[in-house]
Amino acid sequence: MRRPRRLLAFAIAAAVLAITVPVAFAAQIITLSGATASFPLLEQLTAKYATLQHNKIRFSVSQGGASVGIADVGAGKVDIGDSSRGPQAGDPPNLYFYPIAKYFVCVVTNKSNPIANLTESQVQQIFEGKVRNWSQVSGSSLSTTIDVQSRTSVAGVLTTFQNTLLGGGKVASPPATAWASEGLEQQAVEKDPNAIGFLSDYFAVNNKLNAVAYNGTACSVANAVNETYPGWSFFYEVTKGPKSGTEGKFINWIQTSKPAKKIIETNWIPLTITKPVSG
Amino acid sequence: MLDRIRRPWSDRRAELVLGAAACLLAIGIVTMIVFVVRGAWPTFSHDGFSWLGSHGSVDSRIGAMQNTSANPAASAYQIGIWPLIYGTLLSAGLAVALALAVALAASIFIVDFAPPAVRRTMTPVIRLLAAVPSVLYGLIGVLLLVPFTNHLVTQQQKASVAYVIQLSGGGVAVVVLLLAVMITPIMTALITDALESVPRPWREGAIALGLNPLRATLAVSVRAIRPAIVGAVGLATARAIGEAIVVSMASGGASFSPNPTDGVVFWFEPFETAASTIVRNADGLSAPVLHSTLYAIAALLLFSSFMLSLAAYLVKLPLRRYQVSN
Repeated sequence: MRRPRRLLAFAIAAAVLAITVPVAFAAQIITLSGATASFPLLEQLTAKYATLQHNKIRFSVSQGGASVGIADVGAGKVDIGDSSRGPQAGDPPNLYFYPIAKYFVCVVTNKSNPIANLTESQVQQIFEGKVRNWSQVSGSSLSTTIDVQSRTSVAGVLTTFQNTLLGGGKVASPPATAWASEGLEQQAVEKDPNAIGFLSDYFAVNNKLNAVAYNGTACSVANAVNETYPGWSFFYEVTKGPKSGTEGKFINWIQTSKPAKKIIETNWIPLTITKPVSG
Repeated sequence: MLDRIRRPWSDRRAELVLGAAACLLAIGIVTMIVFVVRGAWPTFSHDGFSWLGSHGSVDSRIGAMQNTSANPAASAYQIGIWPLIYGTLLSAGLAVALALAVALAASIFIVDFAPPAVRRTMTPVIRLLAAVPSVLYGLIGVLLLVPFTNHLVTQQQKASVAYVIQLSGGGVAVVVLLLAVMITPIMTALITDALESVPRPWREGAIALGLNPLRATLAVSVRAIRPAIVGAVGLATARAIGEAIVVSMASGGASFSPNPTDGVVFWFEPFETAASTIVRNADGLSAPVLHSTLYAIAALLLFSSFMLSLAAYLVKLPLRRYQVSN
C-alpha cells in the first residue's frame, strides 16, 4: 500500500498548486453582457485592454441581445451592459449609456439589380411584405417576385434596421427568410438576383453587393459620420449609476485611447462624443 | 509504479473500474435530463402543454420573448410550436423513407450481386461517407442546392404564394434530399452487415427450390434481417430528427407548415424543425423566457428520442424469430 499513498500525495500536491497559483495571481474580473452586434468589437477591445493591463484585469463577455444586457446591468448581474440601441422607456432606472462606437445598416440588393435609391415608404412596403414584386418598385428593371432576406429575431442588426430605416416597423417573416448570421444573409443576397436584405456596414459596403441609398442619401461611412444617413446607431456601454472604478477606466479607455480607436476603425466608426446619454 | 499499472488487473479491480465507467454514463444521462427539464420548467409551469399546439407565428413569438424583462408575466411564455413538430416529422419521415429505399437496394446489390472487386471498394467508401460531418452537407445545401432550386421555382409559383411565404430555394425538397444523403450511408452499412450475417445456405436453398436470385434475397435474407432494418431506421430517424445545422442552413428560414395539397410548390415551401430553432436562436439564451422555451423544445427532443428507442424495441420483438442479427 506504500505506492498508492505516494501517488495520492502527488495528486493532492498537484490539486493544491492548481488552486493556489491562480488565486495568487488573481485578476479582477469585469463582467459584460448584451448586444450580439457589438460582440465582435467588444471581444477585440477587452482582449487588447487585458493585455495592456498585463492581465491584472480579466473580462467575461456574454451575448444575449441589447435588452438582456440592459436588464442584467440594471439588476446588478453584470458590471457593464452592451447595447446596440439607446435608452428606451421601460429600461431599469438610473442607467447611464456611454456611446463607444458608431455603426450603420445598409439595404442591399444583388449586383445584377443595381437599385440606386429607395424611399422610406418603399423600404417599409418591401420588408413588411406589402409589395412583393420588383415591378412595383420604381428604379428596378426586374419584374420578378422579391426575395426578402432578413435575420433571426435575436439579431441586434435587425433591431437597428427596424428602429431606423424601417421607422419602427417590423420585418414580416414569413415571407422573409430569416438567416442565423450576417454571413449567411450576405451570401443569400449575393447568389439571388431577386433578393433584397439589410446588413451592417462591414458586410454591406463592398464590391459583392449593391448598397442602396436611403431617401437619396448614400449608405456610406462619410454620411454615417455626419449623420445625414439615418440608418446608424451607437454601440453603448451601460452602467448602473455614473461610470466609476475599473469599469469606468475601461470605458474611458475605449472612448479616448489610441489603441481602442485603432480597433474601432477596422470595421466601425470611432466617436467624438463622450457624454453619457441619460437613461 | 509503472509496472504495477502494466500488470493484469485482478478481477475485483477490473469489475470496479468497468462498473465505475458504466455508472458514470448512467449518471451523465440522468444529470442531462435533470438539467434540461430544470431549464424548461418555467414553460411547463406557466403554459402546461398548450405550447405544443398551434397558435400564432413561432418566429414573431420568439422575437417578442427576446425582449422580456427579468420577471416576465405568465403570458410571455405563450407559444405554439406545432409548426416545428410538424416540420421535424415531415422532413425526418420523408428523408428516412427515401434513404431506406436507396439503402436497401444498395445493400442487396453489395452483398448478393456485386462483383468482389466492387464490394471491396464500396464497403469502406460507404463507411467513410457515414462519418462525414453534417455541417458539410449544410454548406453544400446553402451554397449549391438552395441557389439551384431557386432557379427551378417559376415566377408564377413564387407569385402564387408571395403574400404568405417566399419560395427562394431553401425548403422541403432541399432539406429532405440533404438529410437522406446524410443518413443513407449509415443505414446501408448497418443493413449490409446484417445481410452478410444471414447464413448462405438459407438463400442458396431458396434458389435451389427455384426462386430467382433477387426473389430469394427478398424472400429469405431481407425477411430474416427485419429487426436490423428496424434498428437502422430507428438510428437514422434519430439522426434526422436531431439534425440542426443542415436544416437551419437550407430550410428557407421561416417556421411555416408546408401544405402537401399545394402540389409542386409544397416541395419549395420553407419550414423549421425543433432542433434548427434551438440552434438559430441560441444567441438569445440569456433572455429568461426564450431560455426556458428553447429548453422545453430540447426536452421534447429528448423525450422523442426515448420514445423512438422504445418504439424500435417494440417493433423488433415479434420480428426476432430467426435470430440472425440484433
